[in-house]
Amino acid sequence: MSTTLRALAAAIWAGWYRDFGWINPLAGLFLRTIPPIASVLALVLIYGVAKPSASLDPNFGSQIAFLLVGGALYAHIAAYSWVATLAVAEGKWTYVFQSVYISPKSATPYLAGRTIASFITSATTSIIALTVGFFVAGALFPANQIPFNITFVTVPLFVLALVVNIFASMGLGFLLGAYSIYSTKFEWALPTYISGVLMIFSEALFPTSILPAPLRDFANILPFTNFIRASRQALLPPPLYGSISLYLSDLGLCFLGGIVFLAVGLGAFRLAENHGRRKGVLDRKAV
Amino acid sequence: MNLRANLWLKTAYARAWVRTMSMYGEPLWVVVTVGFPLFSMMGMSLLYSSAGATARIGFAILGGIMLSFWGNVLWSMASQFNWDKQAGLFEIYITSPAPISAILVGMSLGGILGTAPSAVMVAVVGWLVFHPPINPAWPTAIATFVITLASLYALGMTLSSLYLVYGREAESFNEALQEPVQLLSGVYFPVYSPVIPLAVQAVASVIPLTIGMDALRRTLFLNNPADVNLVYTELLVLGIMAAILLVVSSKSLKALEERGRRVGSIAVRMR
Repeated sequence: MSTTLRALAAAIWAGWYRDFGWINPLAGLFLRTIPPIASVLALVLIYGVAKPSASLDPNFGSQIAFLLVGGALYAHIAAYSWVATLAVAEGKWTYVFQSVYISPKSATPYLAGRTIASFITSATTSIIALTVGFFVAGALFPANQIPFNITFVTVPLFVLALVVNIFASMGLGFLLGAYSIYSTKFEWALPTYISGVLMIFSEALFPTSILPAPLRDFANILPFTNFIRASRQALLPPPLYGSISLYLSDLGLCFLGGIVFLAVGLGAFRLAENHGRRKGVLDRKAV
Repeated sequence: MNLRANLWLKTAYARAWVRTMSMYGEPLWVVVTVGFPLFSMMGMSLLYSSAGATARIGFAILGGIMLSFWGNVLWSMASQFNWDKQAGLFEIYITSPAPISAILVGMSLGGILGTAPSAVMVAVVGWLVFHPPINPAWPTAIATFVITLASLYALGMTLSSLYLVYGREAESFNEALQEPVQLLSGVYFPVYSPVIPLAVQAVASVIPLTIGMDALRRTLFLNNPADVNLVYTELLVLGIMAAILLVVSSKSLKALEERGRRVGSIAVRMR
């Protein structure tokens, strides 16, 4: 195995150890599953309360399915795209980040590995949240069928979309990680902003068409928006969704956007890292 | 005023002063703390709007405002003693003559004052962008708001004593608690709705925020004369909850402090 792959594997292990080393792993996974489940159920209930005549609306079930997929996936992206920031900021205090620089490999595979570890965890918790949300919504609104299309074809298509989105999320992570090299306070607030921006601009909760023109255009080119659209095409049935051509075009846009995000993120991180070495801020903890 | 009462007041004032000035002395704090409630409020308002329920957008704005305070209770009250322990400050609290209850009350008052700018910003942005229809009974609404905050921060004091026994786990517990409490307490939607099973409503009623949010929605948006008695009952329940939580926090803090002294964990930092 090459040094880079070994470093990546070690970083993935370090990520899981950080997340679950303090507790029984199953209990840790349970604790991490509660927030996305609560988040998805809150969306379902808001929509249910907002539509008092739900049982008479033939589209209600499709709208709940739209919300379930969007709600679970925006939380998934938000949960793992900021891990690079956490790895830098927390690592400065625990001396892990400084130690990376005296290891045979640089910070890039370390941050990539931490992101992949978090991706696997949050993909698992989000799928559990989606499943629980589906059954609870079905129980809360028995008069409305919530349409999902779960087959041996659609599930791999959804998993492929999850994997393709790693490029964009990792790129965003490196971009924020570059900021964290310099930041010594408040970087822990970044996830709330990522989560908030995704909630509004990634078509997670409502169609981008309700946003005003310049914001709508911004939302439409985001790879995260295209990832969630591709996931809906994979998981939800025709006639509203389930189109393989739309799935492929959304996934292609997600991939292209992801490559751009990753290139920009890696470039920014490399610049920040080099500049940080010269200025001596790599281990700076307070202003 | 006797010496003991004077010391209690001085301590509460000092802690409130530090907490308030740490917020107002660093304007970036507002930017930091407003992010989550502001974006959530906008997201939920747009969700109500996309569902055609524009009359309920006010629920989302109120939710964003109260979320600012709930975030402050979780992260700056419940976890605070744990962080103070990591920084070595908790040992100073214990060795000084300052009453811990006064520190907690001061921290709460400072927290409320410090969170106010974020809450106001959420309200102003929500009002300007969405123009929600409101029908407020202001005196009752203000009383409800004050009593809700009192019970919410009393809950924070209780949690802070419990979190004292934990190490870094406290952060994970906070992360796990935040969303479920938001869900159960119906920050963005009325929990006491036919859609939600009665058992869930009963469990949710144990959380002061649930009752406070319901009373606030009734006084700010619905203002139905038939609800007056219900709102007063909710205020009474909130007052009782606040009193019970204050006693519980004081007792549990004493017990955990004593345990920490005996087993020698009171000054243990990273674990």
